[in-house]
Amino acid sequence: MSENISRRDFLKLATVGAATTAVLTGCGPASRYIKREPYMEMPEYTYNGLSTYYATTCRECAAGCGLIVRTMQGRAIKVEGNPNHPVNLGKTCPRGQITLQGLYNPNRVRGPLKHARGEGLYDTNFQDAPPNLSWDEAVQVVADALQASAGVAFLLGTAPDHLFDLSSELANSIGAAAPIRFGASSIFEARATLSKATEDLFGQAAMPFFDIGNSDLVLSFGANFLETWLSPVAYSRAYAQMRRGNPKIRGYFIQFESRMSQTAAKADEWIPIHPGTEGLVVAAIGRLVAEAKGGEMPVAFETVDLNTVISEAGVRLETLEHIAQLVVEAFTPIAVPGGGALGLSNGLQIAEAILAFNVLNDNVGKPGGVSLSPLSPNQDVYHSPASAQEMTDFIGRMNSGEIKTLFIHGINPVFELPTSLGFAEALANVETVISFATFPDETAFASDYVFPDHHGLESWGYQRVTTGVTQSVLSGAQPVVSPNYDTRATADVLLAASQVLPFKDEMEFLQSKFAALVGQADGSFSAPEINTFTAYFQQHGGWWKTTSDSVSPSAASALGTNLTVEPAQFAGEGEFFFLPFISPTLGEAGANKPWLQELPDPTTTVMWNTWVEINPETAHELGIENDDVVKIISEAGEVEASVYLYPAIHPEVIAMPFGQGHTAYGRYAQGRGANPANLLGAHFNEAGDLAFAGMKVKVEKTGRKQSLSRLESRIGVYGEGMGEEHP
Amino acid sequence: MIRNFIEWVMGPMGRIAVLITALTFFSLAAFGIYQTQVPPDQPIEFTHKLHVGLGIQCLYCHPGALRGPSPGLPTQTKCWGCHQQMEKTFTSEKLAVLVDYVQNNRPIEWVPVAQVPDFVHFTHRPHIAAGLNCEDCHGDMTKVEIAQNPQVLNMGWCLNCHKTRHANEPEKLIKLTDCGTCHY
Repeated sequence: MSENISRRDFLKLATVGAATTAVLTGCGPASRYIKREPYMEMPEYTYNGLSTYYATTCRECAAGCGLIVRTMQGRAIKVEGNPNHPVNLGKTCPRGQITLQGLYNPNRVRGPLKHARGEGLYDTNFQDAPPNLSWDEAVQVVADALQASAGVAFLLGTAPDHLFDLSSELANSIGAAAPIRFGASSIFEARATLSKATEDLFGQAAMPFFDIGNSDLVLSFGANFLETWLSPVAYSRAYAQMRRGNPKIRGYFIQFESRMSQTAAKADEWIPIHPGTEGLVVAAIGRLVAEAKGGEMPVAFETVDLNTVISEAGVRLETLEHIAQLVVEAFTPIAVPGGGALGLSNGLQIAEAILAFNVLNDNVGKPGGVSLSPLSPNQDVYHSPASAQEMTDFIGRMNSGEIKTLFIHGINPVFELPTSLGFAEALANVETVISFATFPDETAFASDYVFPDHHGLESWGYQRVTTGVTQSVLSGAQPVVSPNYDTRATADVLLAASQVLPFKDEMEFLQSKFAALVGQADGSFSAPEINTFTAYFQQHGGWWKTTSDSVSPSAASALGTNLTVEPAQFAGEGEFFFLPFISPTLGEAGANKPWLQELPDPTTTVMWNTWVEINPETAHELGIENDDVVKIISEAGEVEASVYLYPAIHPEVIAMPFGQGHTAYGRYAQGRGANPANLLGAHFNEAGDLAFAGMKVKVEKTGRKQSLSRLESRIGVYGEGMGEEHP
Repeated sequence: MIRNFIEWVMGPMGRIAVLITALTFFSLAAFGIYQTQVPPDQPIEFTHKLHVGLGIQCLYCHPGALRGPSPGLPTQTKCWGCHQQMEKTFTSEKLAVLVDYVQNNRPIEWVPVAQVPDFVHFTHRPHIAAGLNCEDCHGDMTKVEIAQNPQVLNMGWCLNCHKTRHANEPEKLIKLTDCGTCHY
């Protein structure tokens, strides 16, 4: 302390400083300056100051979970699960919760507009382009396009189903080709493979239902059912039931996957087998189980050579014997095929081998086993989304000039489809491209017209539940708020433009689809006539049977044929197997929602970016460290991304999440991360699904470093980062 | 360097500089405090004094207070229900703003004055049910023109009332002074 300033002066000055700081920082809460807009005209059924709750259906994926949305003064405030809805029983996944950020997204298409292809729908400051057409003009454009009926094609996403039904009827009545539906989730879930496998083995094409909730031993072959697979909330519920539902037995769970996914991380045993050997492993376990059970060896498992399996898959005989022993001892063992296991050149064989394994364990059609999902109440036959092969044929039709006008709704093919399929180039051969996108996505950029549909929370509709429950469910959607922008329901636009279907508007079409359910007594409610039915349908959030009506297939012949599981073929040159997986947090279309971007990936804790998972030992040999930017080269293309050293991955495999790498899609998504779909070649399995896990790639260092933002410590739980990496 | 600065501060110029700095801080602080005490600007100079004075009940426009957490703000149709019948609506300069909002179908952006922080779950209903009147907390609105807050809505003020009103009811007192009653 200086001799020129006394202790007393110092204290005085310090007190003055502290007092002013305290006063200045305490100038009242920031919420003091918020604004509240009351209703201009309040609906009769709301009560001023009280929340109004609406039951609707989530549209973030095709699973069809029921939601209850709290609204206050006409604004959607909070999303929760519908406790009575059979799919999710009151639960939601993060994407369901965050559907609000789609509704309030600052980058939405604000009204109908025409623009030159490739021209942005927002400027460099992400200010949305103003609408430049009226809806009357827009309807006229669609009407003119529908006149040339032979050249009209519809490309739809996997949700919502009512629009698929409407466009099917429309296409049928004007003589156009039936609509095709697809999406990135179709690629990663390989639904066509599952339905083809059930057809081959059980003689009936349907979506299989795996009752893991009542099982006491689950063998999952790449099925990431706790993340995004088929119906993640329903399967997560079933998983909890498997673990804790039976007070006497805690279900046991084994995951076979070359990378530890979020699902694998929840398993009791994670077996990192060599990529492409899932079919061999299940056949080997099947043979060991059949041997242990005694009796005649089923034809299906007769030719399995254990030694080949052990050397190919890289598992020890003791491991297989131990698992076989668990299977023999279990009451209701079940094997689940999914994810990367089906996205291989021999994916169909793998799916069939796994289903045959279930037949061997005699669980088909029984609790804790495999059954066929029931059809939805207003459905006559199961509509599988298109396989990648069918999508490629569709792109062929675009290229041949057969398609003059393309309507696109609910899918962003320019981003979601592998570039090697050539969708973006094929668009050039289509005269008119009309997008009904809610958000300014890549495909909307590449379209001539954008006639925006409402957001899912502003829309009417229904979604058929194709898997996840044993009863027949038609999940209902209704607007919870009035539209924020000058958008219009695509169903209304098509009805107004075509004038060939006998429906005045979307609601009349929906009611025509409900007609058969009026008066039915075995459902969640019963109504004597259509208007009452519609009102109850809105109130309950759908209509569903109260009892199980899943189909128990005939499995008699399944073990009688020889299972030949050939080795998987891998396309391209390179030292690494490439395993893309759909991001558990973002899904296929979550990149424009900042809460999802901010949600750390469950296994790596990375946020806001794309990473490449490489085993630390492999990386060490290559001289690669955390956050090094590497170039991944496949026969189809190359992408760059930062490395995440992941100890829980097979040393010969590198993995990358799908969901980022947008070149459009608004301020939160654009220019962030990389898209692994650019690496995928056009190779298919026997069922026509994309062999997305059947690529080999090279990894090249770029010499640059780009830090990944991640929640976990940089030092890591395994001590990486302590040694020579960061001296 | 530091020594030189301290010497300068202790000199005549330094003392003046310190005084000016201190005065600046104090006036900023005073302005800050003043800002918390004046009612914010509202899009419409709505006079509570007049409306309550005419005999309109609080719950007529803010009915949610009786049934739930939030009292709610009246819709424009409610304003218009009466105002469209009054000649003055179309002649008064102050009411031109309301006419503008209603006729152009624009929502009125009110600025709330009685606010508690987000971590407090305040519910109106039990307070009304316990026999409190609106003016017990919000002051006598027959004397207030533009909405303003008569007191700082802080925890001490809440607890003070809970304690004095239920001093002789130990069961209620425990419930009403429990943290989890408002912070959950």
